[in-house]
Amino acid sequence: MTIGIEHILAVSGLLFVIGFFGVLLRRNTLVVFMSLELMLNAAMLALVGFSFFNATMEGNVFVLFIIAVAAAEVAVGLAIIVALFRRRHTVQLEELVSLKG
Amino acid sequence: MTAADFQALLPFMCVAAAAVIVMLVISFYRNQTLSAILTLAGLLVALASLPIAWSHAPRAIPPLLRVDSFALVHLALLLVGTVAVTVFSQRYLEKYRMERGEFYILLLLSALGALILAAADHFVAFFLGLELLSVSLYVMVGYIFVKEKALEAAVKYLFLAGLTSALLLFGLALIYAALGSMEFSALAAAVAGAPDGLSPFLVAGMLLVFAGAAFKLSVVPFHLWTPDIYQGAPAPVTAFLATVSKGCVVAVLLRFFAPLDPASQTGLFSALAAVAGASMIVGNLLALLQDNLKRILAYSSIAHFGYILVAFLAGGENGPAAATFYLVTYFAATLIAFGVIGYLSPTDQEADTVADYRGLFWRRPGSAALLSIAIFSLLGLPLTAGFMGKFFLVAAGAAAGLWPLLIILTVSATLGIFYYLRIIIAMYSGEGRKSEGRTADAPFAPTSATVLVLLAVLLIVIGIAPEPLLAFIQAATTLAP
Repeated sequence: MTIGIEHILAVSGLLFVIGFFGVLLRRNTLVVFMSLELMLNAAMLALVGFSFFNATMEGNVFVLFIIAVAAAEVAVGLAIIVALFRRRHTVQLEELVSLKG
Repeated sequence: MTAADFQALLPFMCVAAAAVIVMLVISFYRNQTLSAILTLAGLLVALASLPIAWSHAPRAIPPLLRVDSFALVHLALLLVGTVAVTVFSQRYLEKYRMERGEFYILLLLSALGALILAAADHFVAFFLGLELLSVSLYVMVGYIFVKEKALEAAVKYLFLAGLTSALLLFGLALIYAALGSMEFSALAAAVAGAPDGLSPFLVAGMLLVFAGAAFKLSVVPFHLWTPDIYQGAPAPVTAFLATVSKGCVVAVLLRFFAPLDPASQTGLFSALAAVAGASMIVGNLLALLQDNLKRILAYSSIAHFGYILVAFLAGGENGPAAATFYLVTYFAATLIAFGVIGYLSPTDQEADTVADYRGLFWRRPGSAALLSIAIFSLLGLPLTAGFMGKFFLVAAGAAAGLWPLLIILTVSATLGIFYYLRIIIAMYSGEGRKSEGRTADAPFAPTSATVLVLLAVLLIVIGIAPEPLLAFIQAATTLAP
């Protein structure tokens, strides 16, 4: 079996959807954050695959940028979650209810 | 890169250099006022360099950026917005005993991201600009980390912006699959080459990109946490969130979708029209239920970006100009509103409930007058800039025949009277009861007072004589299809 563009789309799309529903449905901030990273990784996988099928290097180069950006995002995001835990002693989203109209 | 390329990029380099300089200065000598002054200097030099860049426009700096008159008009707007936020922040942060200099580095980096978005001509620039904007903003939202509300808002903003970038990235990947190229111009070529229908990859990718941008613009159905973030973030940061971080996304969306013809892409554009209509209705209706000034402004901003989407959908010659003009009026009014809120906030909390503003006119007539002008403009009363902004939006929409959206716009905008007038009535009622409301008593600093008064004068001048500005914007924002 040769791997076609539809296989790449299926795998990356599946990962992306899993991540998306993780963000929407999970209530633990760390798990939500992991789901976000899963979505980013799905997009990176798609870019590498499409880069292969388009026979251009742009997708691969873009992925290098994304890896760097994702690392920065994780560093900042985890720092915010740690700061929140130190003040509130919780990482559960449903307990973040001090902002309500 | 030639010398002309560098000159066209001067505004970007000034802001980037200012961020580095502020960082270096902080590592030797910590002084909040000095950091603020250096930040302001960097931004003003960047503004001053716009004419130099203008003389080289339009200029493509391959492969990432395109500095043309459209980009430069938005650059000017974003830089002015950042200048105002810097001035407001300086005074706001003085109230807190913490390390404050880093805030300005983040502000400059965030502004740089916004500038890159306004000039992006390539997917990589699109993504990097957006991330530079967002990642700095996460920290700015939670900067006053001693406040639980600020931290909570930061976490919510983190997830919202993370979702934005993931959706956008997957959309860009799908478009790349269809085009084999990451330049915006390839998109235009693909659309021109396939008049009868775009590939499903391309349409799905466009929808995902729009969904990502919609999160940033906080239009329905992507608006859920916006009021929480507005409420929890420090007032100057809310001002930045509401203006600069949304204005640059409008700019990039206008450029990105410019090649598409609404008549041939009915499916895509009816989805966007539904988003615009829902935003106007939901934003205006939910604002009625709020008691918190920041939340009212959050819901009203949802509605305002619904209005701007009407101009976006109208496209053609008038659409980009009307959207840009509306952004100018929205920027000025929103900056005043959050600037005043930041000023009136005492140290321990934000002065943000409507009750805090009861009798404000009798305690602080100047603040009440400024806030009134901003609110009248947001409401769109004649003789304010907001009215002219709405007028040109409706004109652009009518030229494109978007009648259902225009009916929603006019009907839902009238709802605004109820929630905006509540604030106005609160401010001018309760004469003599001076102790009401938790607002700070400190007088305005001269810098902030100047910025606020200039913005208010701008609102009235544009409201009375919009033609020069409109003619300028129309000449500058014509996007070649």
